[in-house]
Amino acid sequence: MRLLHLIVVAALVSAAVYVYKIKFDSTLQAERVAKLRTDLRHQRDAIAALRAEWSQLDNPIRIQGLAQRHLRLKAVEATQFDNFDHLPDRPVALVPPDVVDPIGAMIDMAAPDYPTGTIKTPPATR
Amino acid sequence: MDDATAAAPASDPPARPAPVMPWHRRLVQALLYGRNVDRDRKARARLGLGVIGFAAIYCVIAGKLVIFAIAPDSHAARRAGSGDAVATARPEIRDRNDQVLAIDVKRPSLFAEPRRIYDPDVGIELLTAVIPDLDTNELRQRLGSKRGFAWLKREITPQQQEDVRRLGIPGVGFLTENKRVYPDGPEVSHVLGYVNVDNTGVAGIESWLDRQGLADLHRAGFASDRQQEPVVLSLDLRVQHALRDELLAAKDKYKAKATAGLVYAVRTGEVMALASEPDFDPNNPRQVLDKDRTNRLTYGLYEMGSTFKAFTVAMAYDSGRFNLSSMFDARTSLHYGRFTINDYHAQRRMLSMSEVFTYSSNIGAAMMARAIGIEGHKAFLRKMGQLDRLHIELPEVREPMVPKPWKEVNTVTIAFGHGLSVAPLQAVMGVGALMNGGLLIPPTFIKRSEADAQALATRVIKPETSMVMRYLMRLNAEKGTATKADVPGYYVGAKTGTAEKVFHGHYVKTRLMTDVMAVLPADDPRYVILIMLDEPQVIPETHGFATSGWNAVPVAAKVIARIAPLLGIAPRFDLPTADKLILAAAKATQ
Repeated sequence: MRLLHLIVVAALVSAAVYVYKIKFDSTLQAERVAKLRTDLRHQRDAIAALRAEWSQLDNPIRIQGLAQRHLRLKAVEATQFDNFDHLPDRPVALVPPDVVDPIGAMIDMAAPDYPTGTIKTPPATR
Repeated sequence: MDDATAAAPASDPPARPAPVMPWHRRLVQALLYGRNVDRDRKARARLGLGVIGFAAIYCVIAGKLVIFAIAPDSHAARRAGSGDAVATARPEIRDRNDQVLAIDVKRPSLFAEPRRIYDPDVGIELLTAVIPDLDTNELRQRLGSKRGFAWLKREITPQQQEDVRRLGIPGVGFLTENKRVYPDGPEVSHVLGYVNVDNTGVAGIESWLDRQGLADLHRAGFASDRQQEPVVLSLDLRVQHALRDELLAAKDKYKAKATAGLVYAVRTGEVMALASEPDFDPNNPRQVLDKDRTNRLTYGLYEMGSTFKAFTVAMAYDSGRFNLSSMFDARTSLHYGRFTINDYHAQRRMLSMSEVFTYSSNIGAAMMARAIGIEGHKAFLRKMGQLDRLHIELPEVREPMVPKPWKEVNTVTIAFGHGLSVAPLQAVMGVGALMNGGLLIPPTFIKRSEADAQALATRVIKPETSMVMRYLMRLNAEKGTATKADVPGYYVGAKTGTAEKVFHGHYVKTRLMTDVMAVLPADDPRYVILIMLDEPQVIPETHGFATSGWNAVPVAAKVIARIAPLLGIAPRFDLPTADKLILAAAKATQ
C-alpha cells in the first residue's frame, strides 16, 4: 500500500515536471513565432519601401531626363530594326584559325614566294 | 442543509438508543442543535458538501489553466499588433510588366498619452529639440490636457523616430501607418486615381478597389496586413510615358488648352495607355480639385467629328445596300431646313464610298445615314455602344448626350460626327470593333487575356465589313486626310476628325477639337490610337491650318513611331498598297 503511494507520488511529480517542460517549450516557441512574425513584417515593410524607391528611380520621366542630359542617344527609328533572316552568313575566315601572325599568313596565302619573315610555330616534335 | 436535517428524522425514526454523554455536553448539544439530532450524519453530509465545493473550485482552476495553455499568445499578439496600421492596407497596383504603380509604405507617427506624462514641460523641451517643426504652444496644449491619446505628429522620418525613442520619455509612443505612395508621380494619374488620408480610394482604380469589397474588409479590420494579391493593370508604363511625353510636347507646340491620348488593344479591349493633359500628381491630391484636370477620355463628352464617319460608312456597308463603288452626289451642298451641309475638302463631283471616306465628305456621310433611316442609324449606334453609358472600372464616366427627340436632322449631322457627344473611350471601343473583325469588346483597365475578351465579345458587324473598314483606314493614310500619320514601316491606317466646339449655343469656327483614330497595323490590327487636341492654335509650321491633319495627325505619327517598338510590332517596309493587300484579301474571302 505504501509502495503504491510512493509510485503514484513519483508519477505525479514526473508528470508535473514533464508538463512544465512542455509548457515552457511551447512558450519559448510561441515567443519565437511572434518574433519571427514581427521580423517578417518589418522585412516586408522594408521591401515595400525599397520597391517604392526603386520604381521612383526607375521612373521613365526621370530616366528620360537623365538620358537627355548625359547621353547623346536618339530615339530608335523603324529602319534600325531588322530580322535575323536578313542577317548575312558569316564570311569565310581569311586566315586559318590557328595562326600566330595573321597578317603574315594573309601575305603568305596571297604571295607564297614573297619573304614575310613570319615566324611559324615550330612543329610539335619535341 | 435544512433539507438534510428535515429529512433525517423522517427516514430514520429515533429508535436508536441515545449515546451516553455527560450532562453538560448534552446540555450544550441541546442548546446548539436541538434535542434529537444525529451529529454524525450531519457532519458527514457537511464534509461531503465541502468536498464537492472544493472539487468544483479545482475544476474551474484546472479548466482555466487548460484555457491558458491552449491560447498562450493571445496576449503577446495583442501587444505586437497594437503598434500597427491605423490607416488600412491596400493591395499593390502594378502595370502589365509588373512595374509598381502604387504601393503602401509604413510611416511612423508620433503620439502621446498625456495622462501618463509626468512633466509636460520637460517633454516639450526634449521633443522640440529633436523635431524642430513641432509647434510649442500646440504641443503644450495637447500634453497638458488629461486625455488618453493625442497625435503629436503624423508621418515622421525613421531618424526622428530613433531620436525620440532615445529620449525615453514615458507616455510617448509611435504608431506605424500605411501611406499610399505613387512612385511614378503624375505619369499614370487618371487611371490610378488617388486615396484620402484614411487610405480609402477616392478616384480611378483606387476607388474601384474599394467598391470591389476592400472597403468592407477595412471596416471589418481584416485588411491591415500586406498579404493582399497585387492588382495588375492593363497599362504599359513605357507606352504610357511615351504617349504622355508626346502629348505634353504637343500641348506646348500647338498651344492647345488640353490634349488627350489613348492606346487601346483591339483584340482584348485593354487600355494600354491613357493620358489626359493637364493631369495631376496622385501623391498630392489637392491638385485634383482643379476642374481642368479631369479625365477627358472617360469623363469628357465630345462630338468626335469626322472620325464618326467610320461608323456611318461601316453601317452603310454592313447593311448590304452599298458597296465601295456606290456613288454619292457631292456636287452641291446639302440643304436641310436651316442647315447647310458643306464639305471641308469639297470636290464638287460624284464621290464613291471610299472617296467619301478619304475626302471626309460630310455630304456623302449624311446621304448614307439618311438612306439607312433614323431607326436603323439609332439601332446601329446603340449596337456599337455609342448611346449608352460606358461600364468600366473607373467611376469617372458620363452618359453620352443623345439628342431627344432624335429627328432626321440629327441622323444627318451625327453621320459626320456632330450632334452626338460621347466619351472618347467609347468611340475608341466602337472603332476597335470596326477594326478587329467585328467584335465589340468592353474596354478594361485590368489585364485580360484574349480568350477572356472573346468570351465577353458580341458580334456587331460582319467580318467583311471590318476588312473593308481596315482598307478604308489604310487608304486614308495613303492618300486621304491622314497621310502624315503614315509612319514608314508600320502600315498605319487613320481617320481624322475636326469638330467645331459649341460656345454659347453656336458652333465656333475658331474653337476646334481635333482628333485622329489610328490603327496599327492596318492589315492585322492590334492597336487603335486616339489623339485629341482641344483648341489647337495655328502655328507657322501648319500654314494657317488648325484642322486635325495638321496637328493631331503628326502627334499620332510621333506616338506610333515611339510606341510600336515597345508594343513588339516589327517594322515591314515591302508591303503593297491597301488595295493590293487588304482589299484583295477581302475579295478573296468573299
